[in-house]
Amino acid sequence: MMSQLRLSFLLPLLAFTALALVGAVALYATLSGSRDPAQLPSVLVNKSAPRTSLANLMPNDAGDNMVQLTAFKGQPLLVNFFASWCAPCRAEAPALEMLSKRVAILGIAYKDRGEDTNSFLEQYGNPFRAVGMDTDGRMGIEWGVYGVPETYLLDANGVVKLRHAGPLTRGVIDATIMPALEALGSW
Amino acid sequence: MITELGHFALITAFVLSLVQGFLPLIGAARGNAAMMLIAPAAAISVMLAVAFSFGALVWGFITSDFSLALVANHSHSTKPMIYKISGTWGNHEGSLILWILILAIYGGVLALGGRAMPMALKARILAVQGLVSTGFLAFSLFTSNPFLRLGTAPLDGKGLNPILQDPGLAIHPPTLYLGYVGLSMAFAFAVAALISGEVDRLWAKWMRPWIMAAWCALTCGIALGSWWAYYELGWGGWWFWDPVENASLMPWLAATALLHSAIVVEKRGQLKSWTVLLAIMAFSLSLVGTFIVRSGLLTSVHSFASDPARGVFVLVILLFAVGIPLALYAWRGPQLVTTADFSLTSREGGLIANNMLLVVATAIVLLGTFYPLGLEMVTGARITVGPPYFDATFNPVMALLMMIMAIGPVMAWRHGKTARLRVVLITAAVGAGITAGLTSAFAVGFSIGALVALGLIGWLGAGIGADIWQQLKPHGGAGIARRARRVPTEVIGMWLAHFGIVIFMLGAVGDNLYNSEQVVRAKPGDVIQIADRNVTFTGVKQVQGPNYQALAAQLEYRDQSGKLFALLTPEKRIYNAERQTTTEAAIRPTLRGDDYAVLGDGDNKIGFTLRLYYKPLVSWIWGGAAIMALGGLLAAFGRQRTAANQTSPVTNSTTAMPASGRGA
Repeated sequence: MMSQLRLSFLLPLLAFTALALVGAVALYATLSGSRDPAQLPSVLVNKSAPRTSLANLMPNDAGDNMVQLTAFKGQPLLVNFFASWCAPCRAEAPALEMLSKRVAILGIAYKDRGEDTNSFLEQYGNPFRAVGMDTDGRMGIEWGVYGVPETYLLDANGVVKLRHAGPLTRGVIDATIMPALEALGSW
Repeated sequence: MITELGHFALITAFVLSLVQGFLPLIGAARGNAAMMLIAPAAAISVMLAVAFSFGALVWGFITSDFSLALVANHSHSTKPMIYKISGTWGNHEGSLILWILILAIYGGVLALGGRAMPMALKARILAVQGLVSTGFLAFSLFTSNPFLRLGTAPLDGKGLNPILQDPGLAIHPPTLYLGYVGLSMAFAFAVAALISGEVDRLWAKWMRPWIMAAWCALTCGIALGSWWAYYELGWGGWWFWDPVENASLMPWLAATALLHSAIVVEKRGQLKSWTVLLAIMAFSLSLVGTFIVRSGLLTSVHSFASDPARGVFVLVILLFAVGIPLALYAWRGPQLVTTADFSLTSREGGLIANNMLLVVATAIVLLGTFYPLGLEMVTGARITVGPPYFDATFNPVMALLMMIMAIGPVMAWRHGKTARLRVVLITAAVGAGITAGLTSAFAVGFSIGALVALGLIGWLGAGIGADIWQQLKPHGGAGIARRARRVPTEVIGMWLAHFGIVIFMLGAVGDNLYNSEQVVRAKPGDVIQIADRNVTFTGVKQVQGPNYQALAAQLEYRDQSGKLFALLTPEKRIYNAERQTTTEAAIRPTLRGDDYAVLGDGDNKIGFTLRLYYKPLVSWIWGGAAIMALGGLLAAFGRQRTAANQTSPVTNSTTAMPASGRGA
């Protein structure tokens, strides 16, 4: 009984030690520069992207209110999961703007409301050919999205070639996105 | 010269706080009065030395002494005086000195007061304070020295981030620090208790005003920060679940739990070890809040890597400041265990439920804030979980908390069923029914969220109202006025603080569920409709500010009858020194709701982007926070229960315990 009691008083210390270890490892990784912005291992790489059909944020005059992934076949495509509530998404806006001049980008607004997405695009620019609304996050599950922002590169046949979780920066674009685009022969 | 004296004063403070940290501890252990008496003397000296040092730094900013590296990097000669002064704490080094100054002031105030406290307890508390300030003075002196000189002074400074040039931000950090650092007092009380192995009701009685004061400051600080984000960021929101905001919310939640559990220790002598643990947790979270976030570990890897020594130092300080007390807790904690002598349906039970929910809420925020960091370590990706996570997890916990907030205070100590409880329960249920019914009958755009939120508001509002009425209604020959005079100030404080939650919720619900928004591209002469207003955009004007140039849109607001009732001029500013653009939202705040306008990009040919909002009740959010803080102040410093109160015929009836022994 008494020893059990003593153990429960040790718990806060143990929990803190575990947290401190995590912090120390993170710190060490940061200091040694070994935190590599490498892409996440994704089961999707070299497989076809999930069938994607979403409500269109900006319905066009033709009355077509869905965004279909298949409509983009025949060219490389970047698929960018973003949300108006996500701060890193604001940070990557200029990078996407730059990329949009070279490659088609499909935006998927993850767990977002249409009016919020609109004002986000209004304020930070709209680099997307089309924006699909993944309001309930179901598509995010299909794609295996960890969180936003997250970006996938698809080849002309709709096969996933690369996944990057986290905001796109100059460094990421130079180190991973550009070489992958070159490999697809479209740069 | 003054700069060098300031640096010298900081070194002196470091040496003195070493003395304050160790000698009184030895004195208290040996029962040596002379050594214990060093504590207050040292604490007061540290306070004076740090104050001088801080003054010297402010002086450098006021006189724009650009030979100081800090001033050259963060100030500019054309900046208005108030922002030169607030620029002192608008950067890492200066804000650290402000943090230490507030810590030293808390120590000094305890040293000067606290005459009734046992000498050993006071010596130990001040010693713990001294150890904390030793750590942070070393941090400042060895890694973040604010008094570094430049070899050649530049002609002018680099300026302060324009977004920080704002009156709200001049007072926001000091207020927030007052709260963060105030929790160090509760921490010092807890560690002192662990060292001596003794916790009694008087200990809690002395500690509570410090907790309350820190809690009030933290409440105001968070509200100010949220208000600043609301009007300065031009995004129309007031809470973003961003790591920096979460960092201030976590200690607030823990402090809220602590101030409730300390009541149980004071009134009933129960929950001792739990309260000690909460006090350690609250201050640890405030350390995490101030430093881990600022170190860039969470927000920006780059600013962190710019000075590796800093992050290591923060982690070492955290290890000592949290690790040692928790080790002490593992050793001494079991001695503080008392046998529970109350049933679960009692005031104690209600307060325990409150504590559980608040700790769960803290854990939710902690997880949401640090999970991305953990993921980043594993995968190298920086992501954010954002509002969808918090809405799904945090809000239900808060809803439960509001449920028990109405009934907890009317339960009796030990065994809780009172006649008052029944009246309050029924009234609260009726209140919830009425608001929920009105919502579903009249609201445009019905939603479950609105129904639950407004039902809770009705529940809590009616519950508090019923409680107040039962304590004030004429009874036993005493009229309302006479009974009101007998209510202890701390009870009035509790009513106010809980009522502040109702007001806050009304604001949050009004803004979240009923806000209108319009994003348009408008040319001069265009009329935009929003809510029941017609807004005419008459064009833009050039404006010349003290250190910026601006483009100001002219928006005429008219009501349905066509009467002009407001002119709003949202601006886009370009700051000369920093070459940075900011948007200045124009806001017309009223009690009914705010008109909020932001000017985006564009020109006269293609038109300008305008974002207009109408936000019902949004200012109630901060009003509610202010009422909560006011309630806290009353509870902290108001009249405690008096002898007259305890012997009055009313409180000797069946409701004796709750009427005389309740707290905020």
